[in-house]
Formats: sequence, structure tokens, C-alpha cells
Amino acid sequence: MEITQSYFETWLKAQEKLFDGFIENTKRTQQLFLSQKYPALSGDAGGFNNLYSAWSSAVLKSLAEAGSGSEAIKDNLTRMLGGSNAYMKLYEVWLPLMKAAQERSLNPDAYKDYIDPSKYKELIDKVFGFDSDATKLMLNQAVQFLELISGSGQQFTTPWIEASKASLEAFPQFMQGHPESFIKIFHSLFNAFDNTVGRVFHVPPVGKDREKFELILRCFDDLSVYAAKNTEYQHTIYITGLTAMDKVVERLAEKITSGEEIKQFDEFFDIWIDTSEQAYFKLFQTEEFAKLQGELLDTALNVKAHFFRVMEMYFSDLPLALRSEMDDLYKTVYDLKKTVKKLEKQLKEVSQ
Amino acid sequence: MKQPFLSFDTKSLIKEFGDFNAKFIKGVGALTEIEEIDVGTAPKELIYEEDKLKLYRYSRNDPSTCRTPVLIVYALVNRQYMLDLQPDRSMIRNMLDHGLDVFIIDWGYPSKVDMYLGLDDYVNGYIDNCVDVVRGVAQSERVNLMGICQGGTFSVMYAALNPDIVQNLITVVAPVDFSTNDGLLFNWSKYLNIDALVESYRVIPGDFMNGGFLMLMPFNLNIRKYVDMLDVIEDKEKLLNFLRMEKWIFDSPGQAGACIREFIKYCYQENRLAKGELTLGGQLVDLRNITMPLLNIYASADHLVPPAAIKPLNDLVGSQDKTLYEFKGGHIGVFVGSKSQKELAPAISKWLHDRDSAPEPEAKIAEESKSAGTETAPEEVQDIAPKKPSRRKA
Repeated sequence: MEITQSYFETWLKAQEKLFDGFIENTKRTQQLFLSQKYPALSGDAGGFNNLYSAWSSAVLKSLAEAGSGSEAIKDNLTRMLGGSNAYMKLYEVWLPLMKAAQERSLNPDAYKDYIDPSKYKELIDKVFGFDSDATKLMLNQAVQFLELISGSGQQFTTPWIEASKASLEAFPQFMQGHPESFIKIFHSLFNAFDNTVGRVFHVPPVGKDREKFELILRCFDDLSVYAAKNTEYQHTIYITGLTAMDKVVERLAEKITSGEEIKQFDEFFDIWIDTSEQAYFKLFQTEEFAKLQGELLDTALNVKAHFFRVMEMYFSDLPLALRSEMDDLYKTVYDLKKTVKKLEKQLKEVSQ
Repeated sequence: MKQPFLSFDTKSLIKEFGDFNAKFIKGVGALTEIEEIDVGTAPKELIYEEDKLKLYRYSRNDPSTCRTPVLIVYALVNRQYMLDLQPDRSMIRNMLDHGLDVFIIDWGYPSKVDMYLGLDDYVNGYIDNCVDVVRGVAQSERVNLMGICQGGTFSVMYAALNPDIVQNLITVVAPVDFSTNDGLLFNWSKYLNIDALVESYRVIPGDFMNGGFLMLMPFNLNIRKYVDMLDVIEDKEKLLNFLRMEKWIFDSPGQAGACIREFIKYCYQENRLAKGELTLGGQLVDLRNITMPLLNIYASADHLVPPAAIKPLNDLVGSQDKTLYEFKGGHIGVFVGSKSQKELAPAISKWLHDRDSAPEPEAKIAEESKSAGTETAPEEVQDIAPKKPSRRKA
């Protein structure tokens, strides 16, 4: 009961806040439109979207806190918010185009001046579920974990970790760069490390610890390879998105030239969706993309596999059932079940 | 100043966004008012359980008009209630209304303890056991086997190994020839390191599979669908229709590691089934052994299982009586589209009834054996497998 009450309170507050803000914002936006002062991305439109995002987060939070109700409804609401957020994000991307059109300064050749690449990247991130913050967090946590288990006295990893973090922070710039250059950065990082501190591990075997350290080093290498491949993959996706945007503008220009008028954002939205879908379908059909996607998954799985091995090594002395031990157990259960079923069938046949 | 190529009506834009946000707010309200998304409501009885599998028989108010029961084998990747999504979009109810005795397998949700279950366990284990139960319960020597999507591929394997038990085979959007590059999944699978994937997960999560499906049409499936939904969100019935479909799409069981490994490797990557090179439980799965009547249904606009992967089955089997049925629509529309309700379920029922008045099983076996041999290079058939393999028992 308390949970329900708390949920509704949060929900009502969120609703009130949204409506108040929505009305205020609509008024202000309308005034700006009518006075020919168009909301800029970082100005009032940004304010609108911030409000919208804050509200949608509050709604999700209240639903999550409720702790009851249908999971399917909550999941659907999350997806609906995701779709609507992307819709709003497209509006953000499109707003400067509209502004320029109103100022009668837009032409097909110059449209790129009005597209903010970082906003467009955010939009594509939403479509494909890329979460660069989550990626960074995951990699940072992985690095911290490896640092922790490799021992507090082993400061040799610090320079590598710092360099890796610096590279990851440059992630948003990737869409305007070339994937090859970043792959080189990651590999040179590892090679530099391997050729300096890494030499420690090239000495003859000195016990079981060597195996652990080698595995940890391998994890670092896996992480760098994964990050590089992920960069290449996302770069391919972004570039296709920008190419699709070129086509969107071409299609708009064709329509206008033939005498049609684009009056509503939804018309732009439809053209953008259809054109983008076609562009990505064309990309996805290629052998190159299929190969790249396969390689990306492979590198991610390598990271996971070596992490699991490291964890098994370090947890082996604890009173826990390890993954490999559970695998053996599952295999035994599987074999026994199969044998029992076979015997039961034979018994049944004999008795008939 | 250059001439602009775009012009907009600012007042209508403000109204448009006001409308969008108003719809969105109403939508959230409407969603939170829905307590339950009911699916699969046609009455049924649980008649058999094995591990996580459940076998159901749908309830009938009157006796079946078709002597042979229908066993539906659904895919492992989604849930079987797609066939009974809601009362007015239910292939199951339609089949019952047309006089059929319908059984269905619910595969359940595999967990890590199921990671070693392979294709052989599913086809020669679970399906075979269900067939036995259906035959016993319905007191019928044979079953009509109806396989959906991946379940159709399994059914083809089963029918090839047990042709004397399957009276009629119906495959619905079931891939058999994986050599095509028409579908994205077929292209992508060729570069999938399935060994590493299974090693990593043991049971491949449903969300992982769904991620791949959403990538097939990312803009429509991640954005447009939800923006369009806002147009119908105030209509509770339409909203519920939408939510039922959403529930089905994202209700994806995990995939037992050994089975998905074999399915991807043997079928998608090596195309062993169509090549006649697949063995299960030590036996060759020879499609020429499929001599019973075949109804092979494909959807002309299927983006998941393209027609090129489905149609070749008719050339690979030994059946004389074989029908290739084109449904004008997509993969999902086959089951829930209004056209499907009016057209497909009645057509399946008619096809089965037409073959139900056939001669007694013994006489039919002899006839089929003879005709199958004539059509499909008898020497080769005899070299590889007996014309009429006896029922294989474990």
C-alpha cells in the first residue's frame, strides 16, 4: 500500500511538473516563433528537451519504484519513451534546418552547416542503442577490476590505464575521424606497454602467479582490441547515417523543386525514417558489414572469456561453485537424464 | 541571398508538437491503466510435461471432424502463443472452428542446466515423445505435423526420420535451404562465431537474439513503431492489440547452447539439411524420405525467413502430393494478420480435411512408397536409406 502511495505521489509530482513546464515552455516557444526568434539547440529547444527528458526519467523512476504491476507494461513504456526521445532528438537535429529555411538562407549545398554532428550522433546512438557512457563505464570497471586483482603493489598498469582512459574520452570525436587511426592508438598503447613493463612477463616461468599475470595482460589486450573494433563498427554506422542524411536532403529538395511543400515535421520524419532504413539495409547486406559485425562480437566474447578465466583463478579458493564446476554438474545431469529416459522408454516397450 | 528550398508553417509546427506531446502524455496514462496483457486464452489442457516442455491439447466443444490430430511444433526463439495472440487473431481458434484436434508444444524457458541439449534431443527426444503422447491421447496411428519457422525445420527433420508416423506435413515459414543471402540473418550468421558465443553464454539470452532481430529494421522497429503507436493509444482495444504483439516480440526464451550451436553451424553455415548431409542421433536426415503430403507455406514479404530459404523444400522431398502456398504478407502477418485469419487457417484446415478421407494408413503407405520411388531416383534412395524406414526408437 505504501509502495502504491509513494508511486502515485512521485507520478503526480512528475505530471504536475511536466504540465507546468510544458505550458510555460509552449508559451515561450510560441512567442519566439511568432516573433521570428527561433529556439536554438542550446537555448529554448534544449530547455524543452531537457524538461521532456527530466519528465520521462521521473515517470520511469516512479514506475520502477512502484515495484509492482506488469513488467511488460514497464518495458513497453521504456521502449515508447526511447522511440519518442529519438523523435525529439530528430527534431533537435532538424531545427536549425528549419530556422535557416525561415531565414531564407538554406540551400541543399549548404545544409551540412546546419547539422550538428554531435546531435546527429546522439540520435543514431538512440536508434542503435549505443551507450558511450555505459561503454566507458564498463571498460573503466574492467580496468579497475584487473588493477585490483593484480595487486596494489603492481603499479605497472597505471600508465596503461591512464592512456586507455584518455583514448576512451576521445570517443565522441571518432565519427569525424578515421577508424584506422584509433585502432593504431590502441595497439600502440599496448605495444608500448608490452615493450616496457610487459618485459617483466617475458622472463622464464617463476610460478603460478606468472600465469595469472599473463592472463591479466591478455585481458588488457582484449579490451584494447574490442575498443578498437567497436570504434570501427560505430564509425561505419555513423557514416552511413550521415550519408543517409544527405539523401534525405536530396529527397526534400526534389520534392520542393517539383512544387510540393513540406509543411509538417512528420513529413520530414517519414522521409528520414524511410531513407535511413534503406541506407542501413544496403549496408547490412554487404559481406563487409557482416564480417565486421562478426568480428566485433568475437572481440567482445574474447574479453568476456578471459575475464571469466581470471575470475575463476581468483575465486577458486573461496567457498563458491565455479562456472567450470557447474558445467561439469550440468553435463552429469544431462547424461543421467538421457540415460534414465532411454531406460524408461525401454521398460515401457517391454511392458507393452 | 540564395533561394531557400524549404519552407515551413511555424504555427502548424507548434500545433504538431503540442499534439505529439499531448498524445504522449495520454499514452503514458493509458499504459499505466492497463493491468494485464492477456495472451493465449483459448482453453487448453496440459497433457504431458518433460523437463521444461509442456504439451497442451486445445479444448473442443464438439468432436473433431478430422481423424488425425494436429501437433504444432513452434520455434524455440519465441513463444507459441503467437498462434493464439487474441481471440480475433487466433490461428488456433480458427483451426478448432474448422474441426481440427489441435495439440501444441510449449518449449518453456531453458536455463543453464539445459545447455547441453542438442538438435537430437529436441527432434528425436522431445518431439518424438510428444508425438507418442498425441498418438496415445488421440488414439491415432499417425499425426499431422505442423511446424512453424524453426519448429518447421525441426518438423522436416522429424518427418524425414519418421515418415511412417507423420500423416501430413505442414511447414509454415520454415527455412530449409540456408544457402541464400536474401535475408540479413542468413548473411550475418555466416560470420557468427557460434562456438565462442555458446562458450561465453552457455544459454544464449533471448535479449541477444532480439537485438539481432531489431537490427533488421532499426528505424521502424525502434522509433516509428512507437511514434505511430501514439496515434491509437487512446483506443484501449487497439492499445491492447499493440501490447500483446509487443509482449510476444520481447518474450524470448534463451537458446540452449548445444542446440543453437548445431542449428547455426549445420544449417545456416553448412547447409547440411538441404545438402542431405545432416545426421541426428547417428541417422542421416534424408529429405527424400519425406513421402507424405506436404503443404509448404511461405510469406512473399518475409524479412526473417526469405522465400528462397523455404521454397526449395518442395524439390527436395520425395512426396508426390506437395503444395507450395504463397501468403501475401510478412513473417508475422502469417499468424496474426486479418488476411491470415480469413485465408490461411481455413486453407490449412481444408488441405488437411481433403487428405483425411484418404485410404486407410496401410494402403496409403504402400501407394506412397511406390510413387515416391518413381519420382526421386529410386536407385539413389535405396542406396542411402530404406524406402520406408521403420519407426526409430531410442
